[in-house]
Amino acid sequence: MTTAQDGTTGRYLVLLEDDWSTATVELNRVAGIRAESSAEATGNDPLWDAEGLVMHELGVALVSADADQVTALAQAADEPGPIALIEPERFVQAIEPTAPTAEAEATAVDESVFTWGLQAVGAPNSRATGKGIKVAVLDTGFDLHHPDFAGRTIVSSSFVQGEEVQDGHGHGTHCVGTSCGPREVDSGPGYGVAYEAEIHVGKVLSNEGSGADGGILSGINWAITSGCAVVSMSLGAATQPGQAYSRTFERVANRALQKGTLIIAAAGNESDRRVGRINPVGHPANCPSIMSVGAVDSGRRMAYFSCGTVDTIGAVDLAGPGLDIYSSWPTPLRYKRISGTSMATPHAAGTAALIAQATGARGFELWARLSQTGRRMPLPSTDVGAGLVQAP
Amino acid sequence: MAEEQVVISVADDQVGDMATVVDALRRAGLRVAEVLDSVGVVTGTVDGDALDSLSTVPGVAEVERSREFHLD
Repeated sequence: MTTAQDGTTGRYLVLLEDDWSTATVELNRVAGIRAESSAEATGNDPLWDAEGLVMHELGVALVSADADQVTALAQAADEPGPIALIEPERFVQAIEPTAPTAEAEATAVDESVFTWGLQAVGAPNSRATGKGIKVAVLDTGFDLHHPDFAGRTIVSSSFVQGEEVQDGHGHGTHCVGTSCGPREVDSGPGYGVAYEAEIHVGKVLSNEGSGADGGILSGINWAITSGCAVVSMSLGAATQPGQAYSRTFERVANRALQKGTLIIAAAGNESDRRVGRINPVGHPANCPSIMSVGAVDSGRRMAYFSCGTVDTIGAVDLAGPGLDIYSSWPTPLRYKRISGTSMATPHAAGTAALIAQATGARGFELWARLSQTGRRMPLPSTDVGAGLVQAP
Repeated sequence: MAEEQVVISVADDQVGDMATVVDALRRAGLRVAEVLDSVGVVTGTVDGDALDSLSTVPGVAEVERSREFHLD
């Protein structure tokens, strides 16, 4: 084989369209290449000896081609037919370990147009908006009169006895803002990830910020029957190392996944990493079928309070922006900066809505896509799971 | 004895017939608060001395005490 300075072998990979049954015929017709199919047994080894080899299971052909043949194939790629793409075959090598290089730390944060959190998850560069995706935020409710949400459809229900959905605390309004709020705001930066999602507000925490299993499960049930693809829960109960996760919540979350609803919950804020203490992921985020989210700051360091995977029971699955997060708050204040794994969670939930819209993924598949595209960081997976959530 | 708040999850093979399980739970002493069909869960309260008998009701997978939550 000839070798080129650019690391290519001189042969070409021809990507075939989904129906490649006529590929060998096409390669001959277009470029005069007599290719063999891997599905046919021959005496010689077609990988090295034939002009071309159609890899029958993959829909890819490996061909030897001169400049004229490459041109003909490239033209065929642009026209209807089984040939989709042509690219040079590359040399590859075993990966040797190299010394890690320190990543330059972000110093100044520019929040004139978008919050640092939106920038960190890549939301402003994404074409997805969350349109058509129902997102449920189970929390202290929402300020239904907030001016930034005029014109947004909001479906709501209270699961707190004796209290209306109207947010008397603020936490819920902040989380709805981060997950589904606007990108263009007159008086400040855009702060919402899935800015066209259909907002479902389930009040499961009182105006004092407390709730119980029954209310949360009712909220989850409502979110599923409402057809929500994503449920965001910035709430939890502290756990002890070695404490088993709730079998009930695990069963519920697994059923939800099977029905196409992904539950995302905060990992918890009990840690104090400034003194070297990492607390275990709280309930219910510690359930395997609930996606738990840890918090990082604008320098992509762990937030001091973020819970981690301490034993084999509760795992952190992803990370999100959680320190110094600007979002909506009930009037008259309208906006506030607060911190918590509570703030990281709606970043993940909003991103999940964007991915759900962009790919049609739901349930288990949506989990897989979030993990697949997470931005890996030089931090332990016990703290950040698959990394920082990223918009499609 | 003290009243307990409980959450009960129904076994996978009984989720299609929640009503039967709910009736059996009532007979075992559960005061039903919610029947959550989509997730196969029943919530309610029970007197402490009847708590253990709930897990023996046919179709019940788990009985757990309800936890309190806070903001994160």
